[in-house]
Amino acid sequence: MICAKLVSPSPRSEARGEGQEEGQLIKNSTSPRPSPPTSLAERETGVQQTRRSAPRSVLARERARTAGAMLAECRFCAHDCGVNRLAGETGLCHAGAKARFFSAQVEVSDELELIPTFAVALSGCDLRCDFCITGASSWNPRAGAGFDAGAMAAQARMALQGGARTVMVLGGEPTIHLPAALEFVSLLPETAKLIWKTNAHASVPARELLNGMFDVWLADFKFGNDACARRLAKIPDYNRVVQENLLWADEHSELIVRHLLMPGHVECCWQPVAQWLAANLPGVKVNLRAGFWPAWHAARHAELRRLVSTRENDCAVGLAREFNLNLIP
Amino acid sequence: MKKPPTRKSFRPSGGNLESEFLILPDGRILAHNLTQPFAELLHQLNPTDEQFAARLSRRNKVEADVTGHYAPPGKSGRADLPVSPAGRQRRPTRVSAPFLNH
Repeated sequence: MICAKLVSPSPRSEARGEGQEEGQLIKNSTSPRPSPPTSLAERETGVQQTRRSAPRSVLARERARTAGAMLAECRFCAHDCGVNRLAGETGLCHAGAKARFFSAQVEVSDELELIPTFAVALSGCDLRCDFCITGASSWNPRAGAGFDAGAMAAQARMALQGGARTVMVLGGEPTIHLPAALEFVSLLPETAKLIWKTNAHASVPARELLNGMFDVWLADFKFGNDACARRLAKIPDYNRVVQENLLWADEHSELIVRHLLMPGHVECCWQPVAQWLAANLPGVKVNLRAGFWPAWHAARHAELRRLVSTRENDCAVGLAREFNLNLIP
Repeated sequence: MKKPPTRKSFRPSGGNLESEFLILPDGRILAHNLTQPFAELLHQLNPTDEQFAARLSRRNKVEADVTGHYAPPGKSGRADLPVSPAGRQRRPTRVSAPFLNH
């Protein structure tokens, strides 16, 4: 039975050391991990402490200007292209200097503790996941309409006044549009709960700009090994980069990790992801997304031409239990 | 000269909300970008679905006029939300329930 094969008898003891690929970033789990805040309300206190030097809106405005200047040598994501987007050059994401968006509406399909959320999806992405459900807009930074931070912030405020619990900035990948995202933040109420929905492929300078800006990092951990990441998303060095980002996010904000369960990738992707999370981010909130469907260019890969089977779902949940993950709905 | 966006890459906003669904042969429905009105519709089709009940609780509701202000100009969706069967085929929620109600 596949589950019996998948579930390691002592995952925690094997989570570090011998079982890890060379180059993976591993926390020393002998040090107790500080308990993360468990709710947005608790998080609010922490974020206020993080924002100590100035109100978030002021910091965001300053950082938006800084980020805008950094477009002259863009290194927002781990691709580290260094292109001058202000001069019309484009890197692997193909994004220019101006952000566009392809969706902005109140939604209820995200984590229960975050909804209803006013979700703003910026066009373009630095990854090329063949199975991307929003591939047409995520791969094309020119999709959608021009992003007006002021107008969008006005709509976000209306949504909040109408009952939306959070404001979520996503993509595509919002990291490639840091100037616009930070300008948007600068125009939102200080008390608004802000969610940064990301592929966790940000660079160190990008993270520094984001520090204290968002209450929750809602971060994808898509692939459990670099071979799948290269094959399905054309991305090198995936695990090192994502793990580094997740560890950083956990220390600087509330973190929710998402994994989209994919057909044929329980053993190669979900299992190592679950194992790493158990060893390095014990107790972190994890949302195992079960609704994969073959979209965009998924059919380029034989195993992605179908849905996740019931057996695979059951195995994935079994693994989560085995690793004592903190699954959230 | 800057090339104007093609029709393929830009569909102007029409003031509508947008959600995406995939209806499976066995009656299950997968949903992306679920908005409140669509969630309510699906909930009416299958009132016993606990996932929708949770997502439509009083705490999770927003005023309709706010929801209606925004429109996705293009095909969208990224939050993969498995939904239990709707309508006449009410099989067990084999895929969705273990995850969203865990």
